Amino acid sequence: MVGRTESSGGSVAIGGSAMASTPKFGSFYGGRKEEELDCSSLYDLTKPHTESFDYFVERGLEEAVRRLQPIELKHPISGTSLRLWVEKPNVSPPMKDLGSQALDQRLLPSECRLAGLTYRGIFTADICMQWNNGVVVRHNISYGKMPVMVKSSVCHLRGLNQKQLVAAKEEATEMGGYFICNGNERIIRLLIMPKRNYVVGVKRTSYKNRGPSYSDKGVMIRCVRPDQSAVTMRMYYMNYGSASLGFSVRRQEFLIPVGIILKALIESNEYEIYEQLMSIQSDSKAMKGALGSQFVSQRAKIILEEVRQLSLFTRHDCLQFLGNRFRPVMGLEDKQQHAAVVGEQVLNDYILVHLDNPLDKFNLLVFMLQKLFALVDGMAAPDNADALQNHEILLPGHLLTIVVKDRIQDWLLRVQGQLLKEMKEKPAENDLQLKHVQKVFEKVPASDVSKKVEYLLNTGNLVSQSGLDLNQVGGFTLVAEKLNFLRYLSHFRSVHRGAFFATLRTTTVRKLLPESWGFMCPVHTPDGSPCGLLNHLTAACQISSDLDARGNKKDPLAIRKSVTKVMVNLGLVPVLPKLSNMAPPEYLTVLLDGCVIGHLATGAIPSIIEHLRRLKVVDGSEVPADMEIAYIPCTSAGSYPGLYLATTPSRFTRTVKQMFGDGSLELIGPLEQAYMEIKCPGGNEPIGPKPTHEEINATAFLSVVASLTPWSDHNQSPRNMYQCQMGKQTMGFPAQALQCRADNKMYRIQTPQMPIAQTNAWNKYHMNQFPTGTNAIVAVLAYTGFDMEDAMILNKSSVERGLHYGQVYKSETIDLTELRQRGDGVTNVFARSGAMARFKEQADKSANFIDIDGLPYVGQTLTEGDPYCSVVNKMTGQSKISKLKGSEAAIVDYVAAINTGSKDPLQKVTIRTRHPRYPQIGDKFSSRHGQKGVCSQLWPDVDMPFSAVTGMRPDIIINPHAFPSRMTIGMLLESMAAKAGALDGKFMNATPFKKSSKEGGDGKDFAKTGGNDGTADLLGQQMNAHGFNYHGTEVMYSGVLGTEFVCEIYLGVVYYQRLRHMVSDKYQVRSMGPVNPVTRQPVKGRKVGGGIRFGEMERDSLLAHGAAYLLHDRLHACSDYHTANVCGFCGSLLATVPLPTTRGSLGSLGLGIQQGGKKICRVCNTSKGIETVAMPFVFRYLAAELAAMNIKLTMTLSQN
Amino acid sequence: MDGSMSAPPPEPVTYLCGDCGADNTLKPGDVIQCRECGYRILYKKRTRRTFGWNSSSSST
Repeated sequence: MVGRTESSGGSVAIGGSAMASTPKFGSFYGGRKEEELDCSSLYDLTKPHTESFDYFVERGLEEAVRRLQPIELKHPISGTSLRLWVEKPNVSPPMKDLGSQALDQRLLPSECRLAGLTYRGIFTADICMQWNNGVVVRHNISYGKMPVMVKSSVCHLRGLNQKQLVAAKEEATEMGGYFICNGNERIIRLLIMPKRNYVVGVKRTSYKNRGPSYSDKGVMIRCVRPDQSAVTMRMYYMNYGSASLGFSVRRQEFLIPVGIILKALIESNEYEIYEQLMSIQSDSKAMKGALGSQFVSQRAKIILEEVRQLSLFTRHDCLQFLGNRFRPVMGLEDKQQHAAVVGEQVLNDYILVHLDNPLDKFNLLVFMLQKLFALVDGMAAPDNADALQNHEILLPGHLLTIVVKDRIQDWLLRVQGQLLKEMKEKPAENDLQLKHVQKVFEKVPASDVSKKVEYLLNTGNLVSQSGLDLNQVGGFTLVAEKLNFLRYLSHFRSVHRGAFFATLRTTTVRKLLPESWGFMCPVHTPDGSPCGLLNHLTAACQISSDLDARGNKKDPLAIRKSVTKVMVNLGLVPVLPKLSNMAPPEYLTVLLDGCVIGHLATGAIPSIIEHLRRLKVVDGSEVPADMEIAYIPCTSAGSYPGLYLATTPSRFTRTVKQMFGDGSLELIGPLEQAYMEIKCPGGNEPIGPKPTHEEINATAFLSVVASLTPWSDHNQSPRNMYQCQMGKQTMGFPAQALQCRADNKMYRIQTPQMPIAQTNAWNKYHMNQFPTGTNAIVAVLAYTGFDMEDAMILNKSSVERGLHYGQVYKSETIDLTELRQRGDGVTNVFARSGAMARFKEQADKSANFIDIDGLPYVGQTLTEGDPYCSVVNKMTGQSKISKLKGSEAAIVDYVAAINTGSKDPLQKVTIRTRHPRYPQIGDKFSSRHGQKGVCSQLWPDVDMPFSAVTGMRPDIIINPHAFPSRMTIGMLLESMAAKAGALDGKFMNATPFKKSSKEGGDGKDFAKTGGNDGTADLLGQQMNAHGFNYHGTEVMYSGVLGTEFVCEIYLGVVYYQRLRHMVSDKYQVRSMGPVNPVTRQPVKGRKVGGGIRFGEMERDSLLAHGAAYLLHDRLHACSDYHTANVCGFCGSLLATVPLPTTRGSLGSLGLGIQQGGKKICRVCNTSKGIETVAMPFVFRYLAAELAAMNIKLTMTLSQN
Repeated sequence: MDGSMSAPPPEPVTYLCGDCGADNTLKPGDVIQCRECGYRILYKKRTRRTFGWNSSSSST
């Protein structure tokens, strides 16, 4: 092992330049570090979570409540009318229960974790009631306690500095972004959603099943209201030339001919609609970017004809038609509203809901039809629904907003139902006055709203009638395991494609598409079933929010106004006044957040875009800084052209540098990225158009975890993926607030170190606060044969000095309130058992372990079966003693007594035990290059090979065969670099792609050097400078024979991780043990001491070897060996019974029956033919089962 | 629950407050709450008993 090195800041980078952000290591250890760590990089990682929760409590709830349907009631007799709606929702910071006498009434997250509480604050709102359109009466009502996200704006930890955070028993680097539910940290998963307000063309065979004459083509748009609730609308192409609109109401799809909606939206005439649809038709098919074929005019006619055939001529007719059809769907059967009003409500609630203005809806519908026609004619290609450019993210706060909106609406409807019921039953008593309404509020519990949210967080399951336009009902949350920091952090950056896609048998959705470059990490995805579905955001990827760059709320209307104004000055022809019909290829449609704002002449667009991009980076300009400016140019049968601007929240964004202007940093999105020219440092000179933008950082396309792998650019890519997995399974230093946590299981390694070869990301994300491994001296040689097949030899003395020594912490909470029946007082208490005193010996043993309070002594060592907790039932006097399970020793780490409220005595404790885990044979270790191995021997230090020059013995020996096929050159480089670093006392910069990026290297083309960037040569020179071999090898002697090895051995320093998979958790062995009572075969399961299945294939193997005796031993003697008595005359197995030896009173009691006595066959009534036969017990069971079916099983006995 | 032993009454167990760290000596049946600050999670103090080498097998 390499100890801590004294270094006075700075480090040698291999390229000769200093590392970008090297902390002053000297001050780190020399004196107390006073200044705070800059954790903004860490906060950025959880920002999508915290920021969206802020949206939820500060703006989303308000918006959602405003858009709720108010209740309107009219009393049948008195004629009083009542209008009821909700206003001013508010979530307050979590507070302790009212009974608490604590000085500090705030409920802090640490207390929730320890006491197993939920971190939640009271959620209230004003119920507004208005009688006969008179004065509004407000009534404040509580919707229960809403779970609160840690570090959100209603969390007590927001704005605390690091000292205060530590005082609050949190990490100094606490990032928040999770909820605490019953003491567990839970996260709402980021989910992929179709990009909002963006028209996608799709081709799906399933569309043909919608009905006769449906084709497989359609366009789709997920419309999202400002309160984040969504309605997905589809437009299907009908084979006869028309199109049909589909939208779902309560998970049922309704289909309407598009012509009806077109006519119902605005007052217009058929000629105008025809002209609009026609505008994309161009005569010359050959022209580049032409979209409409000669069929377009025919289709337009068919669409209009379809409506006419239903005898719908005016807008009013269409609205009435809609109203009549949808009245039951809208739940308005009883209402006296006019059909046309209902029709308008349908348009409002289900048709293109992101737009308010019918004219905007009309224009977008025309755009969708044009795109559909172009798709059908093959003039435009369908969009890839799996590509990131058509995606956005469902943020936690947005999910909560729509869930709470749904629940409050549900509550309002139930209040309405209850009021109606009471009005109908007792109209005289309930005259809708305040006291009656308030009584109804009591009957319909409002706290259900928060309970449902808590249920969602606890189980991940969503309960909703409408489905909320989401594709799944479960799997929304996950536990944030704090196994190590990498795993913890990855939870916040993981993005799931959706539960539905996991069931698909095709692999298309899992493919890594080039569109995800820079947004999704190509390396960091698990292998196995979630591969490609569970991705991770890159370190640099940010999610757009509803706040602008200055932290003010974005106003969509103001943005639309200002952007339109800017664009009009640049030549945009706005939609109003409608002067002429313009369409591609001469003019392109400009859409802003799914709203057609006008048309631009195709030729002028590139210069306009550059102007917009210049404005975009100016602080406070009319163009928002995170606006996506996606210009899809005219192509022959490519994507449908247009200029798509987006300013919505929850889009993916990342920063690149502009190569024009003064090189400002610009936020770009995945859709525009596909049509931009972005230069990558070290990449080839572009062949195509001149690049307009430049990547800032060559490693920006990697996730945090992937960017920690040193020299990952020298490794074969699957090895980097393996490291991303193994890095998350490493025993490390999980939390600095370890003593203030009560996680079920925690792993910790006692002597972690910071790696000598580290990447820039290591310091950027403060990995020094949570290191995960140890720098070990690693020799690559085949020694003793114990390092075959990825096994590795550990130096026994190194292990004894503390190499990879670790512990497992296990917490158990014993809550006696759970045992309590309703109405009972306190019956169970923690106490040393009184009854034990009777058996002096036992009492002594018990007293050895259990204190007078019934709890263990802190610091006590326990072994298997030792009691550690005693609970006495005061009524019965009986005691229940918990005993330590498992064969390994444990030390009582802490015992926390937790107050469960009121004046009760101790009812709840958390006992944490510490299980020491020395590295032992069978434990798993890995380097940071996907090179995992199992310890096969703890080899004595004296017998280890030693270096001829230094006399050093390695800590770890691995086999050279680990390298050729795996090609983890990064590990070889790390070995040499860390060796040089250890000799110099300096940390080495192992950032990938450094040589080809500007800051690290000479920026030489990677391609020109053939991949050899000279790192190895530099390291060799450093070896030479220290008097070592250029190739990093050393002459070594055998530790056993003392002779020099024929070849030189590659010896260096590699950062090794200890993985959490340890034999002591996995070994399974048995000779005798529990059996299944029915079959008498051994049970399965490690926990219950069962056996391992000796299956068919194992049987075949032994058969092939001819090892019949062994086979008999395994399958019979060690399983359900049984000797049965069979009657040779009748062949029955079941009719034989033991003959009672003595008759009389004893015999009648059954006590006279003796084992090994005489047997008799009940059928033949003789004991002459009885033979003893060995057989599996299941055979007897089979005979019994068959007998139950009236089938006799006869055995023919023979002697050979 | 005192048991049949005629030994002197069991000495109360000392707990540490999870918030302010104050010593709290509690008898069985007492409410779990810090007397100083009212915090409701208390930690048991580390035992002063000495354990021999491998104490679990040999009784002290």
